[in-house]
Amino acid sequence: MGVTKEQLESTLTSKLNPQHLEVTDTSGGCGASFVIDIVSERFEGKRLLERHRLVNAALEEEMKEIHALSIKKVLTPQQWKQQQEESEKSKSAA
Amino acid sequence: MQLRPAHLTPTAHRHLLVFLSLLPRSRQKSSSTVPGFCYQSGMAYATTVHVDPDTHGDFKPTNKLESSVLSLRDVVEQDVQQNPVMIYMKGVPDVPQCGFSALAVKVLKLYGVPLSARSILEDAELKNAVKSFSNWPTFPQIFIKGEFIGGSDIILSMHQSGELKEKLKDIANNQRLNKLSVIKYEGDMV
Repeated sequence: MGVTKEQLESTLTSKLNPQHLEVTDTSGGCGASFVIDIVSERFEGKRLLERHRLVNAALEEEMKEIHALSIKKVLTPQQWKQQQEESEKSKSAA
Repeated sequence: MQLRPAHLTPTAHRHLLVFLSLLPRSRQKSSSTVPGFCYQSGMAYATTVHVDPDTHGDFKPTNKLESSVLSLRDVVEQDVQQNPVMIYMKGVPDVPQCGFSALAVKVLKLYGVPLSARSILEDAELKNAVKSFSNWPTFPQIFIKGEFIGGSDIILSMHQSGELKEKLKDIANNQRLNKLSVIKYEGDMV
């Protein structure tokens, strides 16, 4: 049995203290591949590569069982707020 | 384990069965699952372990990477230093064996830069060497001008932000210069 979405959520929550976290199992519940959106203060002042490394390191144990991990959004709270405001603006403009 | 894999000779198969019978039961069960699969392509690719106690070391297939004096780490080091854009992937650029590798190649091809690639599917040792070199757990892995860039998520996001264009600018310009000089040369010929 692979890793569950809940397992990933709890590991990421305890290790990176995210403000926003969305874990999606894209293998239909098999625990083989996941997509992650994560917003955390820990990413402040870090390049994209370093942010990915933080997530990879947090999930080191789980990675042994996961076949594919895609980190789509890896943002600081400030960037996240900006993105939300922009999407709301474009919504109200439409 | 009654089915004989197509690529094994009857002798090799017999040896495999002997080998398997020596393993503890739990190992036997799990021996049918092989890590390193890529599900997305619909093709199951896996590294096979050849078990043939009769084979003398001299008759082993020679592997360029292994037979050279270079360690695999040196090979990786040389790859990334000598190739402006180096990608370690599942499959080859024209026939990627994984959706993530396919995506990375597709993005890089947009820039018309020379792409050097090695497939890590058939070579578990190379795969491990690349992983430890970059300290990165997944594939594809992209290096530009010797610098580790990341995987498919990062290359896509750099493409969208314009950062990739900046990174590849001089490589793409060199290419264009080469093309220009060819055109000019042809012009002289007329």
